Amino acid sequence: MENAMSKTMNKLSENVLDKFSMDFLRNQVLKNAYGNTDTVIAKLDPRILLVWYVFFALVPWFVNNVPFLLGCFILVLITTALARVAGLVLFVFALGVFSQTGYLFVVSLLFGGDASTVLPLLILTLKVATVSLASITVFSGLDPDRLSNGLLWFGVPERLSFSISYAYRMLPMLMEEFQNVLLSYKLRGNPPSHDTLMGKIRYLIYQVKVIMQSFYPLMLNTAKRARTTVEALELRGYRNAASNKEVRKIMLSSLRVQYSDFMFIAISVLWVALSALVSTLI
Amino acid sequence: MSADVNGGATQSQKLMIFVLSMSLYGLATLFTELIPSFQVGVVEFSVEFFLFIPLTLAMLFDPLPVALGAATGELVFSEIMLGQFGGLGELEKFLTVAIAVYIAGTVVKNPKNMAVVGTAAFFGTALQLAMSALVDILKVQFAVEDFEAVAGLPESVFATEGFAFANDLLFSGILFCLLPTLFLVPKLHGKIEPLLGMQPRTPENAPSGAAIKLMLVAIIGFVGAVAFALVSEAGMSLIEWEADWVESGTAIAVGVIVAAIIAIVVLAVMMKKSNKKDLA
Repeated sequence: MENAMSKTMNKLSENVLDKFSMDFLRNQVLKNAYGNTDTVIAKLDPRILLVWYVFFALVPWFVNNVPFLLGCFILVLITTALARVAGLVLFVFALGVFSQTGYLFVVSLLFGGDASTVLPLLILTLKVATVSLASITVFSGLDPDRLSNGLLWFGVPERLSFSISYAYRMLPMLMEEFQNVLLSYKLRGNPPSHDTLMGKIRYLIYQVKVIMQSFYPLMLNTAKRARTTVEALELRGYRNAASNKEVRKIMLSSLRVQYSDFMFIAISVLWVALSALVSTLI
Repeated sequence: MSADVNGGATQSQKLMIFVLSMSLYGLATLFTELIPSFQVGVVEFSVEFFLFIPLTLAMLFDPLPVALGAATGELVFSEIMLGQFGGLGELEKFLTVAIAVYIAGTVVKNPKNMAVVGTAAFFGTALQLAMSALVDILKVQFAVEDFEAVAGLPESVFATEGFAFANDLLFSGILFCLLPTLFLVPKLHGKIEPLLGMQPRTPENAPSGAAIKLMLVAIIGFVGAVAFALVSEAGMSLIEWEADWVESGTAIAVGVIVAAIIAIVVLAVMMKKSNKKDLA
């Protein structure tokens, strides 16, 4: 365990500032948000997709039947492929799923588990993978405006759909600002050498300190920005619009359920029913 | 846009605080989500490295919009934007972060009192970690059939969760929550509030403690929900429903398949027709 901790510390010190390029992250996130509006999934009605998602987010937790789970998993795998999700998102997903259950398995071996532990863990992995792929399909496949409109239609608080739109529009700016502040601290600072273990620990402390300090100007700048945003919103009558039924109707009038949506649902139902049939026959 | 007589924030200032806390914490959690090596297994060593952001803000501003903003920011930036929205887990994170930040922010009456600030930051983090560890254990218990029967699994889950809790509290709790909060709160106090057109927090205009009672009720509700999950696990409604469904499943499945095929055929015909109409 101590080893694991020191490993985490090392990785931490290597990763925090050096390894990830801010531009890469920004591109991936933006690509994920706006880069695939012409896919089959993106053209579907967000309300239909949300209902579809609720099914695949809940049902796998209550079923322990392997053929059925496998069927659901294959279906969401196909929809994820159709949604053409950005590589980074899939990478984070794969890493999350496999490290989770793999690690749990290794630890359970330490406590006297054996090969019989594998099966429940595989089922757990299957469940987790199905649920997360369904969410990747819906939340990465749809562009943010359609997603927030869909959520709004279901009566999700206007605050949340506002947050989604705001997040997608402001994220590139926020990232750039964070990068600038961090870089300016880096330019002015003198990092300790990190060849020895003590040096590495000193280097880690130095990096954490830089991040902490950079949040001071960052918080002040973001506060100014938040005030500007809210004042601009107020000028346009945002708070009244958020609670006004007429405005909401106009906002949601672009949503339309088409034949292709029914087709999507029908094919999904067919597939799920088929896997349920197979699971009862076996 | 001016503050009330009693120091409370106006509606638009609450929105400003919400936006501020959402963007900062959302951005920070986006990074932690993207740096994969922080996560080791079901145990998340990383949990809340940046919890100091909402903690600091909650001690300076109205805690409720800060808590809601931070929880929403995490949900939107790191879960929905990256498509990592997993349903149950995110709901749990939303609640635990909001409750912990709100309580920590309400406890601090005077941001100049460093002892209270430090204690609140530390116990806020501890509260969040304890609640999420509890939910993690229950999640595994719920998802894995015959949890107790699987050799070595219960012990390993308890051990890893317990270890993760202790590790997170000592490592990220002190290094990433206590120290930054102690550094930032006094530095920002009196400087950041005027930017939103507000009075700095003093013991006179601090948020009232009556709301703490409300949060205690919320915690009792949380415990109640957990207890309910355990009871239903003990073999009541959900399991029986599942058993029934499997028994008569073949007939139902065949029925659903037939219905779905008919629906697909009808829809295909209708789509073709409407396409022709568009062309005509």
